[in-house]
Amino acid sequence: MKTKVITDEERQKAFKPTKKPDVIERQRLDVRYHVEDFDVAERPRRFLEAFAAILKHSNYRMALDHFIRMSAKCSRCATTCQVFQATGDPKDIPCYRSELLLSVYRRHFTVAGLLKGRLTGSGHLTDEKVQEMADSFYNCTACRRCALECPSGIDHGLITHLGRYILSEIGIAPRALVVSTREQLEGKTGNTSAIPVPALIDTLEFLEEDMFEEKQVKIKYPIDVEGAEYVFFPAVSDFLMEAETLMGIAAVFTATGDSWTTGTGYFDGINYGLFYSDRILERVVKKIDAETRRLKGKKVLIGECGHASRSAKYFLPTYCGGKDAYPVINIMEYTYQVWKEGRLKLNPNAIEEKVAYHDPCNIARQRWILEPPRELLKAFCPNYVEMTPNRDENICCGGGGGTVSIDEIRPYRTTVGGKLKADQIRRSECKYLVAPCANCKKQLRELVEDQGIDCEVVGLHDLLYKAIIFDDALIVKSSDDEKQPQAEEEEKEKA
Amino acid sequence: MDAVLEFARGPLFRLTFAIMALGLLRILVLDIIAAVDAYRKAGDKSMPWRLIIRRSLEWFVPIKRMFHNRPVYSIYSILFHIGLILVPIFLFAHVHLWNTAIGIAWPALPETVADVLTVTTILFGILLFASRVAKRTSSFLSRKQDFFWPLLLILPFLTGFICANLGVRPTVYQAFMLIHILSGELIFILIPFTKIAHCVLMPLSQVVCTLAWKFPPETDDKVCTTLGKKGAPV
Repeated sequence: MKTKVITDEERQKAFKPTKKPDVIERQRLDVRYHVEDFDVAERPRRFLEAFAAILKHSNYRMALDHFIRMSAKCSRCATTCQVFQATGDPKDIPCYRSELLLSVYRRHFTVAGLLKGRLTGSGHLTDEKVQEMADSFYNCTACRRCALECPSGIDHGLITHLGRYILSEIGIAPRALVVSTREQLEGKTGNTSAIPVPALIDTLEFLEEDMFEEKQVKIKYPIDVEGAEYVFFPAVSDFLMEAETLMGIAAVFTATGDSWTTGTGYFDGINYGLFYSDRILERVVKKIDAETRRLKGKKVLIGECGHASRSAKYFLPTYCGGKDAYPVINIMEYTYQVWKEGRLKLNPNAIEEKVAYHDPCNIARQRWILEPPRELLKAFCPNYVEMTPNRDENICCGGGGGTVSIDEIRPYRTTVGGKLKADQIRRSECKYLVAPCANCKKQLRELVEDQGIDCEVVGLHDLLYKAIIFDDALIVKSSDDEKQPQAEEEEKEKA
Repeated sequence: MDAVLEFARGPLFRLTFAIMALGLLRILVLDIIAAVDAYRKAGDKSMPWRLIIRRSLEWFVPIKRMFHNRPVYSIYSILFHIGLILVPIFLFAHVHLWNTAIGIAWPALPETVADVLTVTTILFGILLFASRVAKRTSSFLSRKQDFFWPLLLILPFLTGFICANLGVRPTVYQAFMLIHILSGELIFILIPFTKIAHCVLMPLSQVVCTLAWKFPPETDDKVCTTLGKKGAPV
């Protein structure tokens, strides 16, 4: 799939300065995202020190050695990158972006490079190059689609990931990500959206009341239940922005009767470490492990969120005990499984409008959970349509790699990053676009708004909620209905 | 001239071939050692072998990929590779040389097939060079060696074809044969130290990429200690 290069007008909009000149001057950093003030002295030296420390304690050296020997500069990746296709700027070709870091590695961390550097006295890492990397690595959405198209098998997403990690060690990381993570790891509320526990409980009670009114079913949202089968970690922003997704998930559990719980000790699946620092990634993953342990849960259940699912599924075993780590499943896997077992009934004609499914990169790229959401949707959306390319070859929403959380770059995301996706959505003519990922949802909503596409972005469970058929036994009859609020109030008084 | 040719064909060939073989062995072994070490250090040792094999095969038999993206370029790039691999190993005259050098013989390609492959390799090599120069994205990315390689690679094919098929005078024949052998030997020497090393490393690519995401545990503490950031706020 191809798209046209953006117009000059769009370019002006996308690349409009977001910062005052004095900030750029002070930080000596001309990038679109805001950065907290940091030490600007001797950046190249500190960059190399951080690079060396990371290489010493990681497995990156293996990949970098392999990549510098393999890279053939064939430019196939250019044709798949949605950012390059939109800007047409060769500096946005994934292979060029990777070369920024690979050349530093080659020059400063290989014998041949060091020798050549000594002999010619050139090629040192400069401050300008550090700046170029700081800009370039955040133009990439880390969707890793280019890695599929590289004959040499170079994972440009991994290089972006590593480049951002090194930059963060010298203080260059988007303020939006750092501030949220600080609250999550060191703040009072312990989550990225800074939701205090009483507010969480209020929200969930409010949702329960809402669901009772709509479905006449006592849909519970269990809190702090010890020994539950599943301990639930959604992207915490769902509690503020995606009530309907949460309602759908609670409805599924009510229909099946399986035990699940949300812990008040920690209830955030978001892990910005995946986007800018392995150290943060490790710390956040350990919080999930600790909370599951506290609640004596059996499995970690991640809500509708791509990066939360990937960071838990792939990094809980890394940091918390390998094979002995808690099993991680995504909510779509659970719902699919219970539906297959016949424990979940859906109204086959619940959604008459055209529905399309967007694969989150962090889930689908490694061919994880490709068919379950499709089969589920086809079970209750007679007008399901497929967008191509899809599954592991899907096109990124344009807000991947944490960029969606950086509000100041919204014009860039919706004119450059999401352009190819916007074309694809338009062509599908869908009314509902299902995106089971908090990041994708936010980006896609902004994208359809800014691009003027008539389409509603929803989660999988938002739609499922409309289609669930509850057993008669669960439905409270109208005579019980009157008793219901009374009984609940009594219960609360007792508590 | 005969002595020079004999030297190029004999000792020089053995030397350059040894450099290539040992050089390739070296980087292959280094790559495998690094991969084993990474696996040993990784916190999560599960490997999605089916996906690794699937994605590796996609590039060994690149039919799906071929039509996916830049189909014309893909087709001549693949045909170029086929000739490049088959002709040096399976051309009748080469099989004979291999036999005298290492004492092992294998079936040779029929002459016409070898000739066709030689011509296509030359043509597609020129096309590869031309597209690298003409295509904006490729030329932007290219280093000097990227322009140089297709030209160097077709040189032994061109000279070999002239010697084998065109009835040139003996002195001209000898000159072309010398260029044929020397250019082939230059390629041998350069292979392990340049991007052509992908001829042995490629099978490992998907394994390396998968392993690269398998981080060792407890790096937070170690990196913090090394950088003197222990206990520092986020």
